[in-house]
Amino acid sequence: MTGLPKKSFRQLLPLLLPFLLLWVLFWVVPLVMGIDLSLQSPNSGFLDPQLETVEYVGTENYKRTLNDPKFYKALSNTFVYVVGSVLCILPLAFLLAVSLFECQRILRGILAFCLLIPGLALPGAMSKLFYLFFHGREGVLNQYLVIPLGFDPINWMMDPDFIMLSLIMQSIWRWTGVVTLFFLCALEGIPKWHFEVAKLEGLSPLSKIRQILIPGVRKLALFVAVFLTVDGVASFSGAYSLLGGSGGMMDSGLLLVTYVYQVAFPGGSGRFDLPGAAAMSLMVAPMVAAFLYLVLKIRVLLKKG
Amino acid sequence: MSRLFSFILLLCFLIVSLYPFAWMFFSSFKTNKEIYQPAQLFPEKFDGQAYGMLLDGKFVDFGEGLWQSFFIAGSQSLLATFVSALVGFVLAKYSFRGKTFLIGAALIIILIPRQALVVPIFEWFNFLGWTGNSWSLILCGIASGLGVIFFTQSFRHLPDELIESSKLEGFSPWRVFRLILPLFAPGFVTYFLLHFALCWQEHLLALLLLDDNALTLPLTLAKLSDSSHRAPEAIGMAAATLSFIPILVLFGLFFGKMRTALSQLSLS
Repeated sequence: MTGLPKKSFRQLLPLLLPFLLLWVLFWVVPLVMGIDLSLQSPNSGFLDPQLETVEYVGTENYKRTLNDPKFYKALSNTFVYVVGSVLCILPLAFLLAVSLFECQRILRGILAFCLLIPGLALPGAMSKLFYLFFHGREGVLNQYLVIPLGFDPINWMMDPDFIMLSLIMQSIWRWTGVVTLFFLCALEGIPKWHFEVAKLEGLSPLSKIRQILIPGVRKLALFVAVFLTVDGVASFSGAYSLLGGSGGMMDSGLLLVTYVYQVAFPGGSGRFDLPGAAAMSLMVAPMVAAFLYLVLKIRVLLKKG
Repeated sequence: MSRLFSFILLLCFLIVSLYPFAWMFFSSFKTNKEIYQPAQLFPEKFDGQAYGMLLDGKFVDFGEGLWQSFFIAGSQSLLATFVSALVGFVLAKYSFRGKTFLIGAALIIILIPRQALVVPIFEWFNFLGWTGNSWSLILCGIASGLGVIFFTQSFRHLPDELIESSKLEGFSPWRVFRLILPLFAPGFVTYFLLHFALCWQEHLLALLLLDDNALTLPLTLAKLSDSSHRAPEAIGMAAATLSFIPILVLFGLFFGKMRTALSQLSLS
């Protein structure tokens, strides 16, 4: 980053102040409070500032979380959900973007907009809809796909083996169009002379994809993958509305945020265990960071090798 | 890629994307019995009863939900666009001490999103006495890591000569920022729309921070489906259809601008 004009931090402060202020107030303070909360006993009066019965129990809540089988269940569910979604969405969106890229310009815009539509709907509203879709034997998926292909109808929402699959399908349905739009724009941003050179050299379509199109979206794909991972870990609305706040049959659709919510607020399981929930969410964050770091490391290694 | 393959792929995906919406729209005219036969697309007869029942506010206050969502998503996105653009501009065009720290701050918001901090955020707002206020929801979403990265990337493409010449003139960073604002209209619109779409969908924080008498659309819809044993299903479908139209119109209007900005963004 050479050649940029140098300024002192103080000169730039007026421009940065709103961000820094909001960052401290609504991110740093909650984080510190979360750490503090996670060290308290679940029985202290943390909801009422007047009650000064705060009792610190050290790492008790963390130990409790680590001994909680449901926490591991939620963790592995979330992992499957995120990895499954990302691995399906990225290639699918790339293929769609390339297909769109070969269309005429006007058609391209209209089609891209149509594909974007699922990403704009409220997940809550769509889950209700999906419930009817996946519902029992009469669901559309069973009627149009599963039965015509000669399988037994699948009870999507009741069969523990298929709840996760329906959640992943919902996520694919939602995000693929958005990612396709991003990829398409990236492809349109590739300088025209790349394609002229390819034409002159008589590149085959496959090597055109490998040598021009994939490098064109590589950076964006990484960004999208990170975004989808974080969004997947933080996803709540879809699963919450689809499964009514529970984890579904045998907790096979229990995601982390839903579980945190269940532990913290009555209505879920009614435990009202805020310190436990805080400890749980704080343990998730470093795991996500470590996971992303690992993925990036592997990517760098693959590039070198 | 062969023409036929891409044609089939696009067609399949178009159907998968749009069919549920068609079904949602037509179902808002259906009876309960018809809705529980999901394979049936069209209703026996069209009557707009469900819309009337939704809007007269017997089950939920839909108009209030729509206004709340608009107000919250609109103000949060406007402020977030402005605040992130300032930071993105500084990060892209100046070098200064503390730059790494600032980038770190933006990245860590992405890594530890607000959803992971709901419990302490709830406690913190409780302590401040702000729960139930829509500004609590607006304020906690403004500092956005995605926004900072988006604008840092887009301002990178700004020709350095502009900055150079304004430096010779002795302009302050704020003055330079104001000068280049008009050049970046597509970028601003794009980020505004992206943030709007994400904020429009916010469910968990809204669930915790808002009062029962001022619900946003996701909460209104959830409340409606909770009461579905009383309200006909068609009302839920009508609500889903209506809640979808504003954002569709908004994206439709600015879709061209968005594509321009996104294709410039990914140049680097």
